Amino acid sequence: MKLDPSFIWTALVQILSAIPTTLYITVVSVLIGFVIGVAVALIRLYRVPLLHPLAVGYVTFIRGTPMLTHLLLIYFGLPVLIDGLAVHFGWSFRSVSIPMIGFAYISFSITAGAYMSEVVRSGLLAVDRGQLEAAHSIGMTTPQALKRIVFPQALAASLPNLSNSVIGMLHGSTLAFTVSVVDINAKAQIVASTNWKFFEAYLAAALIFWALTFLIERVTSVIEKRINLYNRGGVA
Amino acid sequence: MIKLAQISKSFGRNQVLNNIDLTVTKGEVVVILGPSGSGKTTLLRCVNYLEKPSSGEIAIGDFKVNCKHARKKEIHQLRQKTAMVFQQYNLFRHKTALENVMEGLLIVKKLPKDEARKRSIALLEKVGLASKLDAYPSQLSGGQQQRVGIARALALEPEVILFDEPTSALDPELVGEVLAVIRKIAKEGITMIVVTHEMGFARDVANHVVFMDGGVIVEEGTPTELFNHPREERTKQFLKRITPEFNYSI
Repeated sequence: MKLDPSFIWTALVQILSAIPTTLYITVVSVLIGFVIGVAVALIRLYRVPLLHPLAVGYVTFIRGTPMLTHLLLIYFGLPVLIDGLAVHFGWSFRSVSIPMIGFAYISFSITAGAYMSEVVRSGLLAVDRGQLEAAHSIGMTTPQALKRIVFPQALAASLPNLSNSVIGMLHGSTLAFTVSVVDINAKAQIVASTNWKFFEAYLAAALIFWALTFLIERVTSVIEKRINLYNRGGVA
Repeated sequence: MIKLAQISKSFGRNQVLNNIDLTVTKGEVVVILGPSGSGKTTLLRCVNYLEKPSSGEIAIGDFKVNCKHARKKEIHQLRQKTAMVFQQYNLFRHKTALENVMEGLLIVKKLPKDEARKRSIALLEKVGLASKLDAYPSQLSGGQQQRVGIARALALEPEVILFDEPTSALDPELVGEVLAVIRKIAKEGITMIVVTHEMGFARDVANHVVFMDGGVIVEEGTPTELFNHPREERTKQFLKRITPEFNYSI
């Protein structure tokens, strides 16, 4: 087998059409995952009764099982649940009308939520307790203090780890091909198998992922610089 | 007037405060002295509920909180009537000096931005930091940070400012500038409760000195009474150790 360099370009152009799908999956799962992550982190830090053990169980189960498994569990489990409920309550909705990408959104959000909760938690723990006390001392309520004083600093502290999570989800989104979603990687496979040029096609996919990741890194570093203006100290 | 009645506090089985009664009249500067572990910082932190007292009553003017069943709203009101200056400054690290002072005015007092800004600048000028409005805490020296902390506390026009060892974390050369600011605002008649180890400051500025040990108030009185004519043996021992220049015999 010989390498066909020109086909790398051909494949690259064809794969471009799949970039939005990959980005949708990544952005949706990261955003919903972040919301879940903040909620879970707060539940764990404040040891909310009843919810606390649930949150702990969620994080350990999800982190203890592969992302692909989550996708398969949702893909095969969710329809059974939805259809069961639909019959029971007499809804007209059936699981067949869920688009394939919907399963990816749901399952990857759940995955991202567990990982991001740990990122957010470590960010919150990095904020000195004195910051919250100072906010209380000037008469702020706890929600005001969290929103205005603690969260901005926690976010700054967890930014490098958050960008790691985003990159992880970008790359993890390739698993969506198992439920017939055509993302970058699946598209590469299609292009490859119709032309019998696998290496070239996957190389093109790799370049696209690298470029996207590079973009995420750049954006993070710009945000990091702006957000960390106040942080003149530290070891870095 | 601030009145603490029968304040007790335990951490687990360790009783840190034991039925403390303390009355502070308006405009008075109260200095609390005592060896470490005597409960003086805990007492101060009970006044604005950063520590939850196990029992007792806190009264500021007509506003009273029964510590056994204080509600969230009461705690919030209590904190709006007080302000605190911390040993570790605790300035909001992601906000400039000006924003630190403005924060309470904007969020708690709900002042319009212009008004909050104007008042904050005036306060920072008062503590000698007019040139540092836009500096972040990490760009300020300890003494400067603490003066911002004092401006932040003053901004709220609280009934009382609580000072928790405001100079203990400072380099010796920076202690003076912070004490000078505290002295200045003390003269303006702002009620303060100060936990400190600065005996000179206590002697000059305080109207009322309290000596605590083992979770109780051992002795209290005017600075002259307490420093020159202490009645209790424990007070004498403490003063002897902390102000060796008075009774130094080898």
